[in-house]
Amino acid sequence: MKSRLQKLGCVVALAAAVAGGVQAAELNFASWGGAYQGAIRDAWLKPFAKETGIKITEDTDPQVAKIKAMIDTKSVAWDVVTENSARLTRGIKLGVFEKITADMVDQKHVIPGARNEYGVPSEIFSTLIGFSTKAFPAGKAQPSTFADFWDVAKFPGKRTLQDDPATVIESALIADGVAPGDVYKVLATPAGIDRAMKQIEKIKPHVAMWWKNGAEPVNALGSGEVVMALGWNGRFQAGIDSGLPIQMGWGNTVAQVGYFVLVKGAPHREEALKLMNYMIQPKNQAEFSKYIAYGPTTEAAFPLIDEARKHRLPSTPERMKSALFLDSEFWEKNGPAIVERYNQIRAR
Amino acid sequence: MAHLALDLPPSSLAAASAARRRFSPALLAALPLLVFLLCFFVGPIAGLLKEGFVRDGALSLANYRHLVDTPIYRIVLGNTFTIAFFVTLSCIVMSYPLAYLMATVSQNVSRLLFFAVLLPFWASALVRTSAWIALLGKNGPLNTLLTSIGVLDQPMAFLYNFTGVMIGMTHVLMPFVVLPLYASFRAMDNTLVQAAQSLGAGSVGIFNNVVLPLTSPGVVAGGIIVFMNAVGYYITPSLMGGPAQRMVAELISYNISEELNWGLAAALAGVLLVTVLASLWTFNRLFGLDQLISGSSGKGASAAPARRTPGGRVSVVLGVACAIFLLLPVIVVVPMSFGTSDFPIFPPPQYGLRWYASFFDDGKWMGALFSSLRVGVLVTVLATLLGTLAALGVHKMQSARRTWLDALFIIPMSVPAIITAVSLFYLMAPLGLVANSVAVVIGHTVLASPYVYITVRAALRSFDPALELAALSLGASWTEMFRLVMFPALLPSLVGGAVFAFVTSFDDVVMALFLTSIRNRTLPKLMYEGLAHDFDPTVISASCVLIGATVLILLTNMLLEKRKGAL
Repeated sequence: MKSRLQKLGCVVALAAAVAGGVQAAELNFASWGGAYQGAIRDAWLKPFAKETGIKITEDTDPQVAKIKAMIDTKSVAWDVVTENSARLTRGIKLGVFEKITADMVDQKHVIPGARNEYGVPSEIFSTLIGFSTKAFPAGKAQPSTFADFWDVAKFPGKRTLQDDPATVIESALIADGVAPGDVYKVLATPAGIDRAMKQIEKIKPHVAMWWKNGAEPVNALGSGEVVMALGWNGRFQAGIDSGLPIQMGWGNTVAQVGYFVLVKGAPHREEALKLMNYMIQPKNQAEFSKYIAYGPTTEAAFPLIDEARKHRLPSTPERMKSALFLDSEFWEKNGPAIVERYNQIRAR
Repeated sequence: MAHLALDLPPSSLAAASAARRRFSPALLAALPLLVFLLCFFVGPIAGLLKEGFVRDGALSLANYRHLVDTPIYRIVLGNTFTIAFFVTLSCIVMSYPLAYLMATVSQNVSRLLFFAVLLPFWASALVRTSAWIALLGKNGPLNTLLTSIGVLDQPMAFLYNFTGVMIGMTHVLMPFVVLPLYASFRAMDNTLVQAAQSLGAGSVGIFNNVVLPLTSPGVVAGGIIVFMNAVGYYITPSLMGGPAQRMVAELISYNISEELNWGLAAALAGVLLVTVLASLWTFNRLFGLDQLISGSSGKGASAAPARRTPGGRVSVVLGVACAIFLLLPVIVVVPMSFGTSDFPIFPPPQYGLRWYASFFDDGKWMGALFSSLRVGVLVTVLATLLGTLAALGVHKMQSARRTWLDALFIIPMSVPAIITAVSLFYLMAPLGLVANSVAVVIGHTVLASPYVYITVRAALRSFDPALELAALSLGASWTEMFRLVMFPALLPSLVGGAVFAFVTSFDDVVMALFLTSIRNRTLPKLMYEGLAHDFDPTVISASCVLIGATVLILLTNMLLEKRKGAL
């Protein structure tokens, strides 16, 4: 009897082991497409899949609303998604992301300013000026600060700004003379918001288009639709690398942090954590800057990046000095009202 | 004596015939579509609208009050209706010469023009938009042409403003007016024009007194369809317009996907729905809903017209211009697809097969294509079945019920797709139906059955009831009569409706965005992802493959028709 039970137990255990092993390890990853997702794929997803044998399926457009809908309807289709600090804050408020503790992912090396309980920071990227070198060639005056962007006399021509007010409002105030460190203090008052909106009114006649996706400002600069843009440095760099007559002005930047987040109820949680642990290692953080000009989130990565590449990155110590980090708490609280006014001003 | 014999209790007689009417086969035929729409259209949307009256868990009008108090919503609503109105106007104005041209040339040329009108239909609206963006840019071909021949001093802004939206939306919505207007022109008796000419009328007089009244059914039907579609649009305006052209549907989508403010989105949806229903009601009062269903009246064209009036000749030239306008993006898109750059330029600086390779090699594109085809076939079958049955049923019904059912069966066409899509997502996802395409098939069927319904209803109206009576009187059962007499007569319209249903499903973006998952996403969803977050030129090559397939199908169809005619 004992031996029969033992045998049965063995068979069951074996079957379970086989079943567990046969089930192919998978991971569903969602990000924002284009060069950004391409860089994530080349720097992290492909090597990770090769190293661990986990099959990764990619999707795009991980809007927080969609994630919430998935959780509410128990149909979570994504495990790891990328969000910027604004979306991360919103997602935390809605309870769609899982808290990441130290024993889940080792984040010892992460820059303190980029840390967050609910996300593993993947990169630092900046909004800054990109301009056409055909309109403003080397040797003549070239725009660098946000004040230059608003100076239509010195730097004439059409511009493009983001359709979303986050980073634009901050840039408008900095252009009006507010020190980066005081921007959110000013914005906390109604007078401050009025001041920013007045700036928008001032620049509006010179804006040819308001961009909605990260590639548009680059294409608009390349095709001559505009001579100056406020856009993301990684996209500008990609345009420069592909031969477009563009350059960036580093006088003012608004920095944001990109995060990898774990969706609550993710079907492949273990694989998701493995990916995040892989991504945060300094050597892999350094890898990312090979594919897109975004800065690493851990100081330990900088020694691994050569000088030439460092100059393309927004999170070098000198650039971080003049940078303003986007305050996602501010936008979470005041976003809807500011969006309404921003739309209203431009709708006439 | 006579009146004693007839002295039956009136109530039971009435009751008996009423009972017959309640459960008549006509109602049974219309029942499937009715139940389908109640479950998957009316119900979910009512659920959504309820959210508009909720704020922080309690019943309140706060959302609606916010709409009234904050200026942006009034502005956007105003812009939406202004744009829809002007788009309708421009569609009508441009469709006249084109429809006239199509109706008054020889068979072969007419077929070619039909081709020109329908082909853009098949090229996804997204891709036509990117073709326009490549054409209308500040340094694009149109501006270069106009400045080099001296019409303009410096490049004009055709994009990201009112002009851009007008061009984009007119281009997408024009076929909805051209086709009914063409039918009206064909139905028009040309001898009337000749009579007017002989009585001394000039071209303007002929147009005002003869052409306009006789073609008004077609114009009105097409116009109302365009208006209701335009009011619910947001993808083309968001790609080709600026902030002053923001439409209500975009705000609904934004409030749902970014702000997660269901209350506000539902309030906006409520306002939009009320306006659309009000337009339909006004239309019904002024013209009657059946104008929508049968756009033509009249004896039909006699022999080909002898000579054109001067006005007619001008119309021909304008008509050709309109045909070129319709075809331009499609023509431009083909060489663009052979370009190798990373964003849309026309003409492409370099040629190669890079993006075709991307389309065929990358598994996700072929997977999406098969998913779209599979969904499209299922939707076509389902919508054709439900729509035809319903049309047959309503055709045989008494008038009071008929108007209500007509309205209900047509409304899904006019409600902005995003409202239906989001309502359905919350219904279907917990049942696990999003991952296996059931949700998207249902969603598309809701969208597509009105087209089948309208087409078959129109055909039934022009079906000669004498034929039916004749067959029945000769001893055929109803099913035999249907199979041998009615069905062959309805077949062209049925096929037309089925084709419309397929195109609606194949080309839909908004429903696919919400009702599909990674595994079964459709081609338009993939294309939209390729355009919205970054520009993936594979989208253009994908569309050219589709255009090529359509051209093949249409050509084959034409050849087969010719051969049948020759026999």
